[in-house]
Amino acid sequence: MTEDTADGRDGMRGHAMECQDARASIQAYLDGELNEERAGPLRKHLLDCQPCRGSAQSEKNLKRWFAKAKTPAANLVPRDFSARVARRAFAGDRGENFSEPRMVLVGASEMTMTSTSKPDERNLRFILSLTAAAAVFLVVLSVGIGRLSLPSSSSLLASPKMSIEEAHKQLDVLNQKPTLPVKKAAESKR
Amino acid sequence: MERIAMEPQPVDDTCLVQETLAGNQASFQILVERYQSRLFSLTRHYTRNQYEIEDVVQETFLKAYSRLATFQHQSSFYTWIYRIAVNTVLDFLKRRGRSPVTTVEDPELIQTNVSLPPSRVMSPDARLQREEIQQITAKILEGMPEIFRTVLVMREFEDMAYQDIADTLGISIGTVESRLFRARARFKDKLLQLHPEYGEG
Repeated sequence: MTEDTADGRDGMRGHAMECQDARASIQAYLDGELNEERAGPLRKHLLDCQPCRGSAQSEKNLKRWFAKAKTPAANLVPRDFSARVARRAFAGDRGENFSEPRMVLVGASEMTMTSTSKPDERNLRFILSLTAAAAVFLVVLSVGIGRLSLPSSSSLLASPKMSIEEAHKQLDVLNQKPTLPVKKAAESKR
Repeated sequence: MERIAMEPQPVDDTCLVQETLAGNQASFQILVERYQSRLFSLTRHYTRNQYEIEDVVQETFLKAYSRLATFQHQSSFYTWIYRIAVNTVLDFLKRRGRSPVTTVEDPELIQTNVSLPPSRVMSPDARLQREEIQQITAKILEGMPEIFRTVLVMREFEDMAYQDIADTLGISIGTVESRLFRARARFKDKLLQLHPEYGEG
């Protein structure tokens, strides 16, 4: 603690560890998934660390890319799709095979439009028993699985999350601030 | 003269499910209408063939109908049907001989270390046409292992929260974060490999 070199190395090691934690959290921050308890220290680190701010900006740029790549799917849906599907469902089609919808439609259109058939109750019992077995299996499996090093849902959800818009806005503000030199930042934390 | 109001009322999903189970075909049709666009949007990220997209989405709704009595209302109806949709898409790809990469097949998935070389992307140029971005994105997504494509599509294109993604896929939030991290890193790397001009100097 008395030698400058040791302090400097400890300070740099401490800063490097924060960078690793910060970079593991940036995406969750930009996705609006961090609560204030975790977002606050991250923002503080980004204020001090230009490389991490650069990483955060790159992540934000990627999100902008995806935003531009979004296309509305409404125009993909045929006008009569919902009516067709509802008819088939009530006609007893369980959707077990990938058949040509138009061929089946010709047959389905001949069937009664007023069919009020209910889901097969025998299937229900079978499905319920499968669901119960799957639930037991999942409980046993979850006991045996180790925790990942990434934050748990409980820490992420401990307090209300910041919205995506707010997280992005705060990142923009941070990017406009000057960076404190790393050494001074490390010293100021003692 | 009396007019009978036929306009559909905004009914919540729980009521529509109950009415469907009681035999009301119109209620099920409303459910389909309510979510068809989103399922078409999801499926479009796995195949660009319009007939295949329609097949998969139809299959999804038919399966949902046949299992409707098992919907426990513990999650939202959308989460529940989205899960059926993801599984249906993956089944479809297997049947078409386009097997999704699983944890066993992709050795990179065995690693838990999330440290990857940083690659930086520039903000998309305002001059870049939206269509060009869509084409590039679709091409990159097509080449990604399904396990990564799915979380990326759910997060970036369906705007699903981590918890909803976790519930839909039956995985932990930590796993969602890890897969997203790797998916984004892969996407960035591929984008910069195909178009280095989009990287930061």
